[in-house]
Amino acid sequence: MLGAGAEAGVPRWDPLLPRPMAVYRELGPIDLDGNSTAAHQVELLYRVVGRGTTLLAEAIPGQRISVVGPLGRGFPIESEPALAVLVGGGSGIASLYALAEALIRRGRQVLVILGARSRADLLARSDFAALDVELVCTTEDGSQGIRGRVTEPLAERLDAVNGQATVFAVGPTAMMKACAALSADRSLTCYVSLENPMACGFGVCLGCAAARAGGGFSLVCREGPVFEASELDWTGLA
Amino acid sequence: MSATLDERVDFAGIALRNPVLTASGTFGYGTEFAPFLDLEKIGGFVAKSLTLEPRSGNPPPRIAETPAGMLNAISIENVGVRAFLEEKLPALPQGAVVIASAFGTEPAVYAELAARVSEHPRIAGIEINASCPHVKAGGIEFGQDPKLLAELVRAVRRATSRPLIVKLSPNVTDIAEMARVCEAEGANGVSLINAVQAMEVDVETRRPVLSNILGGLSGPAIRPIALRMVWQVAQAVDISICGVGGIMDADDAVKFLLCGASAVQVGTANYLDPSAALRIARGIADYARRHGFERVADLTGALQAPGG
Repeated sequence: MLGAGAEAGVPRWDPLLPRPMAVYRELGPIDLDGNSTAAHQVELLYRVVGRGTTLLAEAIPGQRISVVGPLGRGFPIESEPALAVLVGGGSGIASLYALAEALIRRGRQVLVILGARSRADLLARSDFAALDVELVCTTEDGSQGIRGRVTEPLAERLDAVNGQATVFAVGPTAMMKACAALSADRSLTCYVSLENPMACGFGVCLGCAAARAGGGFSLVCREGPVFEASELDWTGLA
Repeated sequence: MSATLDERVDFAGIALRNPVLTASGTFGYGTEFAPFLDLEKIGGFVAKSLTLEPRSGNPPPRIAETPAGMLNAISIENVGVRAFLEEKLPALPQGAVVIASAFGTEPAVYAELAARVSEHPRIAGIEINASCPHVKAGGIEFGQDPKLLAELVRAVRRATSRPLIVKLSPNVTDIAEMARVCEAEGANGVSLINAVQAMEVDVETRRPVLSNILGGLSGPAIRPIALRMVWQVAQAVDISICGVGGIMDADDAVKFLLCGASAVQVGTANYLDPSAALRIARGIADYARRHGFERVADLTGALQAPGG
């Protein structure tokens, strides 16, 4: 959770709540200029959509912000079938880069399918292209890659893998719901990462509850944000 | 500047090491905050409101940010009284002061809850949640009708000899009358205010932002309302008052003490700064020293009224 910043150790309170953010990638003890540093560095990739992200984008080097984390459960990356299919839509793409790196380190074959409205909205395409992955891009206006949505190339590829793949989908709820359905139809496991609004990030505000298949709720902050899609109740979503 | 400062206060017959508690519903069962602050260094905490059986909350969306505040409609999701006593309480450090919060739909249920938590030696007191603004039955109905509130407090008073505190709703015309009812029925203290009933709309979707439509507003946006109500209640009753509502820093807390509160509860601030309660307790002590007080308890009611 990223706070709006602090002055003399006292947080600011308008906007009031901290924002949940995914780590785009870990840079380790090396700063953005390539110099070694004592501090551990992480990179965030986000779209400026409201007051919180506007403030963050206006932050100047050296300005302090408050961070609580890391929090929650990330993607499981152990003992899976050979092919990992990463599907990212819009700003959800930012949650997949570190996963792709981790899977490659474990010798997994990785297919990345990225989708956005247009070429300009397709985040991090060159970063993914530099990895040892197969990269497929889709845009709704056809300005980059395949014209259309991520679900079409996803369905084609899943049909070809004979039950030997795991899907990791992050993006708009409708996209994740569609990816979950395509995976379930083929008896494949699909993981999704939810973005419910939350106030604390560590299981006390209970604001981020997501409905579970079979009844009850799970807290996105503590039990997620990554869930196996079949654990969730998708009715009423998207 | 005095060399020694006595930070201890008495709230409703509960001895607190300092006047800062955390508010029910914002602090889980305490253990969630172990990485962020030492529970033995704050005054204490009011645990999440309990029901007799475990209870699930409202469907999402349950919260929304508003100007200098937030709306919530969680609806008393909790583990139930048995799991609280058997699993949550034993996990807490010995020196943590724990106040249980009870919620129900009728006085007999509140009384049973009070009786059950009173048997446990770790419970320092009981706060009655008579003011949850987003539950369809119970809670706020009691807090809005002086006759129902009197019945409720009477029933719980009979069920426990432990310090009894009533959390009051701000969603009333005359909060002082509600406090007088609590005092007359034998409550040892009142906490105020619970969240202010409120709503918000998304103009793009033309829908309410919360699935429950109505929610409770908390955070700095409600602090001056809470302060006004604490001041009014302090003029009306002699029992202890706990000031609650949008306290983010020590100055905010001191304002409530000056207006007549002997303790405060930090709520929404715990979300954005999980060590807020400790920061505020230290800040109150700094304030007291800076202003030459020897006892933090002497801040209570020390407001210099105009013409006074």
